[in-house]
Formats: sequence, structure tokens, C-alpha cells
Amino acid sequence: MSLYELLGTLETGFVFGLVALGAYLTFRILDFPDLTVEGSFPLGAAVCAALIVTLGWNPWLATGAGAVAGFAAGWSTAYLNVRFRILHILAGILLAISLYSINLRIMSGPNKPLLGVDTVFDAFGGFGVATYIISPIFLGAVTLIVLALVNVFLHTGHGIAMRAAGANPAMAEANGINVGRMKLYGVGLANAMTALAGALFAQIFGAADAYMGIGVIIVGLASVIVGTSLLPSRTILQATLACIVGAVLYRFAVALALNADFLGLRASDVQLVTAALVALALIAQYSGSGFKRFFKGADKK
Amino acid sequence: MIELKDVHVTFNKGTPLETKALRGIDLIVPEGQFLTVIGSNGAGKSTSLNVLAGLAPVESGTVRLDGQDITNWPVHRRARIISRVFQDPKMGTCEDLTIMENFALAHGRTAPRGFRLAIEKDMREKTAERVKVLGLGLENRLDDKVGLLSGGQRQAVSLLMATTGPSSVLLLDEHTAALDPKTADFVLETTRTIVDRLKLTAVMVTHSMAQALSTGERTVMFHRGKIIFDASGKERAGMSVEDLLHLFKKTQGEELSDDSLLLG
Repeated sequence: MSLYELLGTLETGFVFGLVALGAYLTFRILDFPDLTVEGSFPLGAAVCAALIVTLGWNPWLATGAGAVAGFAAGWSTAYLNVRFRILHILAGILLAISLYSINLRIMSGPNKPLLGVDTVFDAFGGFGVATYIISPIFLGAVTLIVLALVNVFLHTGHGIAMRAAGANPAMAEANGINVGRMKLYGVGLANAMTALAGALFAQIFGAADAYMGIGVIIVGLASVIVGTSLLPSRTILQATLACIVGAVLYRFAVALALNADFLGLRASDVQLVTAALVALALIAQYSGSGFKRFFKGADKK
Repeated sequence: MIELKDVHVTFNKGTPLETKALRGIDLIVPEGQFLTVIGSNGAGKSTSLNVLAGLAPVESGTVRLDGQDITNWPVHRRARIISRVFQDPKMGTCEDLTIMENFALAHGRTAPRGFRLAIEKDMREKTAERVKVLGLGLENRLDDKVGLLSGGQRQAVSLLMATTGPSSVLLLDEHTAALDPKTADFVLETTRTIVDRLKLTAVMVTHSMAQALSTGERTVMFHRGKIIFDASGKERAGMSVEDLLHLFKKTQGEELSDDSLLLG
């Protein structure tokens, strides 16, 4: 693996770290398996690209707008679940499917190239360092900032209310917490992070694409599972860090698998490798006090 | 003051499983009264508690609290004035949060939650003082996750949490039933002390007639969705479990089939 490849993998790893944080918020904190991300990841990309290219927006504002669009998507999924009692998974699928069409509309086509326009990465051009070195550092910083914000939030009054709403809804309600509203904001927030990741991803690769959301849910989940099964995750800080490490490790695993010509793998096998990795992590977690104890010491649970 | 007026609750209405859980309940609990509620399985005692908490939908009738009609209020809205201790120790506390975080959560029941850090030094000191009274050494374990505590400890914590902040009504849903006898006595004694000190209006559902008579100042008995017996003052003071059973037989003209009422 060359340095260029290494930094590129780190770059995508950090971007998917944001997706992993979102997955942690929905799956682990809110106990709300959310499939909206398959649509909100390309939504963030599409909104951002369309605003930059078609309307000539500032790339930072456009990226922020992408995140806001993601929040709206997540909020809508949670609304279908909370208000109309549609099963959370189904609500997510409905949103993801409808977002596919919405994204085509936003981009007026299946993709939107970002060639020859300024992106957030161009802001660092003046430092005299090559983009491929600057951008992983920038993305790492973005991911860590989001991680810090998530950590602080989950320790505020509303944050612990959200944690209780996911962990013990009956108790949360008895303590005056509007559990439905917590889901609306929590799932919204998670999708805002995912859409932010999508917007950044599009700017790295120079295009937004209607198909770029395929498998995002698996990547997010895999990162959470790989991270929290390898690293201690007893506190929120540990768990969120584990998610980001998981995302980076996961990208490396995929990159290695794809570079492994001796295994006879091709680029088109990426989804299969992805799914197999997640299955392996899950199996390890299930069968695996031995596997876990090896990394986590005598830590139980 | 709690006022239930002609409350009817039916589960699974219009299906073969239709159950009339409450059939016209009229009950007034004046402010500061500690009421104990007894009855056999399916008598409607837990349902009436759920009606107060907002968990059971009322088919007809009204629920008023301190003069306010709360019949259609959702659970989380009522929580500002009604607090609750569940039967299952696991239900009343959140095991993924620390003891301190659970108290911060309970603090937010009556105070705005906000986007500041939930736990402040001041709150930590106050909480340590409060749990110290329990004599369980929990004041040194405030940052332990609640999941590490025993059932009795969790129930004691639930009780303290439910009495955090100004509330007018405390609901106790067989909150000692899942505990061993010694722990149950401890939790019950703590309950009496707290309710007495804070002068709360309290409703305690129990399975044990002895407990119902020895706790609080008034006892009502439910049977098949109706209140069949209501005793307080001198009438109640001179009453034994046998008297209660006898009375039950007289009113109903049938043997009490549920053995669990005799025990304890």
C-alpha cells in the first residue's frame, strides 16, 4: 500500500467515522435501527453539489445545507414512526427509497460533477502542502470536532434524557421525557451527521452520485460493531472513539482486501467483502467472550 | 388532590378478548393522604394506578388532579406533577446511566433540562447527602452505572428519584413485591419516612393485606373493576387481616380465591 493509498483510506475512514457516529446515536443510544442513511448520505452530497454548481453557493454553506437536509430526512423517518406507528425499519426504508427520486430531482440527473468549482478542501490550498496530505488532516479534525460535540451533548440535560429515552422508554416517560420528540431530534441529528459525511465525500471525489448511498448503512453499522468489539466502550467517550477507530479500521480492511490480488478479489467484490466483514465481527461478538476478553481484559458485559 | 369520577377502562374493546378492567371508579384522595390499594389479580388496582399515570386510556369518566382535568394528558406531561415507582426495580432506573445521571434525569422531571451539563457540583453534593440517608454506601458510588446495583438498592434509588423536586403525587406500584422480605421491609420503611416527611399524596398498590393495613392512613379494596371497600380512621385502625377477609366475603358472597392475599 502506497502512502497515497494510505492517506486516501484514512480520508474515507474519517468521513465514514461521521456515519459511524450517526449509527452509534441511532442504534446504540436511541435503539432505533435507522435505514434512512442510505438516502441521506447521497442527499447531503446532492444538496451540497447542486448548491455549489447550480447556484454558486459558498462550499462551506453548501456543506452545512447538506447536513440540514439530512436532519430533515431523519426527522421525517422518526415522524413516520412516532406519529403513525410505522415500524422504524420500514419508515427508514420508505425514506431511503423516496430520497433516491428526490436526489435525482435535486441533481437533475443521476450525478453532479464538482469539477472546476471551489470545494471546502480548496480553502487549504495556500499552505503549500499537497491536498492529499491536507485533506485527511482536515477530515480527521472535522470528525473529532463532531465527536466532541456529540460527547458534550450526551452529557447535557437533554442528552441524558435522550439516552434514557433509548435505554428505558417507560422510565424516561415517567420522568417527564417526551420519548417521541427525543427520537425525532436524535434520528434527525444522526442523519445530519451522515449527510455531512456525504457532502464531504462528494467534494473529495469530485462528484455527487445517486448511487453513492448503497451500503452506507452496513459501513456505519460495521464501524460501530468492529470498533466497540475491539476497544473498550463503557463510557460515551470510549464508545464514540471506538466508532471512529472502527470506521478507519474498516476502510483499511476493505482496502487491503481489494489489494489482495492473491485472493482473486476484484473492485466489484467490495460489497461482498463488506458484508462478510460485518458478519465476522458479529460472529466474533456472539461467540466471543474469548475474542473480546483478549482485547478488553477482564471487562465483562 | 386526586379525583377519579366514574372512570371506565376496557381493554381490547370489540374483540373476543374484551376485558372490563375498571367499571365506574369514583375515588377522591385528599391532599397529603397516603392511600393503600388492595385487590386480587385482575381486580383493577394496577389499572387504576395506570389511569393516574396516563398509561391506560380512559374510556369514559374524568381524572382530575388539584382541580385540573388531566384525563387526556400524555404520560410525560403528567410526570411533572405525578411521580412513580415501578414494581420491577429495573424499570424505575436507567441501567446504562450512572447513579448520578439517573438523579440528574429525575431532577429534569420538574425543572427545565437545558443544554448545560446535566451534573453540577452542587447537585452532586445534594444527591450524595440524600443517598447517604439510605445507609447503603451509595454516596461513594455515584459514578457507578445503576446496572451494577442490586434490586433493593435500585428500588431505593428509584424511590429517592421519584421524590426529587416538588411533586404532588407519588404512585407506588407494588414496589416491594419483587424484593426479598428484608429488603422489602427496608424499602417500605424508607417509603413511609419519605412520604411522611414530604407530606406527599401517595397511592400504593400492594398484594399484601397486612402491608396495606400497616402503611398509610386509608385502604381501598378493588374487586372486578370496582371499589368494594373503603376504610380509614378508627374503623381501619382496629382492623386485622382476618377482618378484611371476612368483610370481603360478606360483600361478595364468595370465597377469596387468590391465596397470595392471605400470605404476608
